[in-house]
Amino acid sequence: MAYGGEFILRPRSWRRLGRFAVYALAAALSPASYSQKSRELAVQQIYLFAWKVLAGYLAFAALLSLVLIEVVSNAASAYGVSQYALELVLRVLVLDVIPLMTALFVALRSGSEIAAEIALMRVNGELEESGDGRDSPLNAELVPRIVAAGLSVFTLTTLACALAVAITYTVFFGFTDAGFESFTRVVAAVFDEAVLVGFVLKCLLFGLAVALIPLATGLEAERGQVRSVPFTVLAGLVKLFFVIGLIAVLSLVVKYT
Amino acid sequence: MAEQPEAQKNPVGFSLLPRGLGVKVGILLGLSIIVAAGFIVYVLFARGVFEQTQRLYLVTDNAEGIAVGSALSFAGFPIGTVRRIRLRDDGKVRISVRVPVDEAKWLRTTSIFVIDVPLVGAAKLRVFSANLQDPPLPDRAERPVLRGDTAQEIPKMVATLRSVLENIEQMTDSGSSLQQSLGNVRTMTERMAGKYGVLGGALGGEDNAKKLLVTIDRANALLASLGGVSLKLDSVLAKTDQKILGQGGVVDETQKAVQQANVILAEVGASLKRVDRILADAEAVAGNAKAATADLGSLRAEVEASLRKVAALIDEINRKWPFERDTKIKLP
Repeated sequence: MAYGGEFILRPRSWRRLGRFAVYALAAALSPASYSQKSRELAVQQIYLFAWKVLAGYLAFAALLSLVLIEVVSNAASAYGVSQYALELVLRVLVLDVIPLMTALFVALRSGSEIAAEIALMRVNGELEESGDGRDSPLNAELVPRIVAAGLSVFTLTTLACALAVAITYTVFFGFTDAGFESFTRVVAAVFDEAVLVGFVLKCLLFGLAVALIPLATGLEAERGQVRSVPFTVLAGLVKLFFVIGLIAVLSLVVKYT
Repeated sequence: MAEQPEAQKNPVGFSLLPRGLGVKVGILLGLSIIVAAGFIVYVLFARGVFEQTQRLYLVTDNAEGIAVGSALSFAGFPIGTVRRIRLRDDGKVRISVRVPVDEAKWLRTTSIFVIDVPLVGAAKLRVFSANLQDPPLPDRAERPVLRGDTAQEIPKMVATLRSVLENIEQMTDSGSSLQQSLGNVRTMTERMAGKYGVLGGALGGEDNAKKLLVTIDRANALLASLGGVSLKLDSVLAKTDQKILGQGGVVDETQKAVQQANVILAEVGASLKRVDRILADAEAVAGNAKAATADLGSLRAEVEASLRKVAALIDEINRKWPFERDTKIKLP
């Protein structure tokens, strides 16, 4: 058995991941995948990964936002550029930190669970093709999980970003609408069309990575080999973190170069 | 619920699922979609997608520091946004600015546009409208931009500052004129602090001050004696006044003399008139004399002719006369 780190360097594993991503996306986009059973499974998964953690995650995001806003605005004041503090906070917090934190959070919360679940199913032989093709395990078990993980990332990112924007406004202007105009101007300066498209694209890629990579790696568990489960879970998480980091770095490179 | 048998079959985590989770998940997803859509609409609203705008083209030599999205500010308030920056064929930069129609009232035909480049931070595009009563700037107007660059002024400022500092160094150097002046000032103030105070300082020593005081004393004595003199002078003047202006004084006598002189002058005038007449007579006499002189000319000619005739007559007589006296010497 290979260690987690070695999975990153295995081209075969990445190729398999790519193939799986294409199949899974095609399946997720086809209406036939959404049977009653699949929808119910997806709802259950979203409930587990998003609803149950929503309050805790939003509290954490609020705390992180507050700390970051304080750090950035104090540093900006110390350097005499406090007029740029709001713009800096919006750029750092809303565009970069919150989406990344959400992706990592969902990856830890759901990614490991999905990977372990799928690996166990694979070991137990529950994912074998039944032969009739109409209710393949890819449709029945994997697509709901993919959709659920993607939607969880979308939900948590959206709500946490909205909360961060609200906290930013409150910290800078207090509980009044007096600062709405200047806040709107800064928002207009930060979120131009390219940044907005890039932001949506980045969140989409985060969602895809979180949804696909643990599943794809879980499928690499060997049938009947229970001992392979921890390794595949670990490998899935390592790969997932690597990809999330890569997406974040690439988005920064594209945005600031 | 329909999923319960299915959930019991699955190994992980479905035993604790509550009822109505479909509704909860639906609310969650719906809320997320509403928030995301609302945020996107808000951003589009912030970027003025739903606003009526007016265009303004600014032309400058150098648009460094200005980027797409930079604000055009009036009195510190952003009123417009840079939408496009283009290098024209003539090497000038055309900055295209969109200003919402609501804010276009701050732009007047006499407005001045400036790119302000501070030491720290991005360049700022500013508009100054001195008179808001001027006609408003039309849509798609093209205006030049002035550029105030602090960073470009720094080298010049440093050079000036250095020369200033060199001057100050020269001034504060030991042996400099400033130091000498300060030394002199100190000497003077030391003298001023002496027995004769400011006077000692001003005159350069106590001896001089002492002399000055003695001189002042003497001057005082002199002034006192001058007072006596002026008193005497006053009495002399009074007497003189009496002599000159009093009854029978010089002025009185002079007045009489002047009256007599007037009489004499009148007589002189009469005499002169008589002389005038005499002169007129003399002039007539002279005229006669002149005519007589003219007659004398012809008379003289006649006399000369008569004389020549007389001479010829005498020659004739002499020739004919037997006592001719021959004056010629006949040579053999």
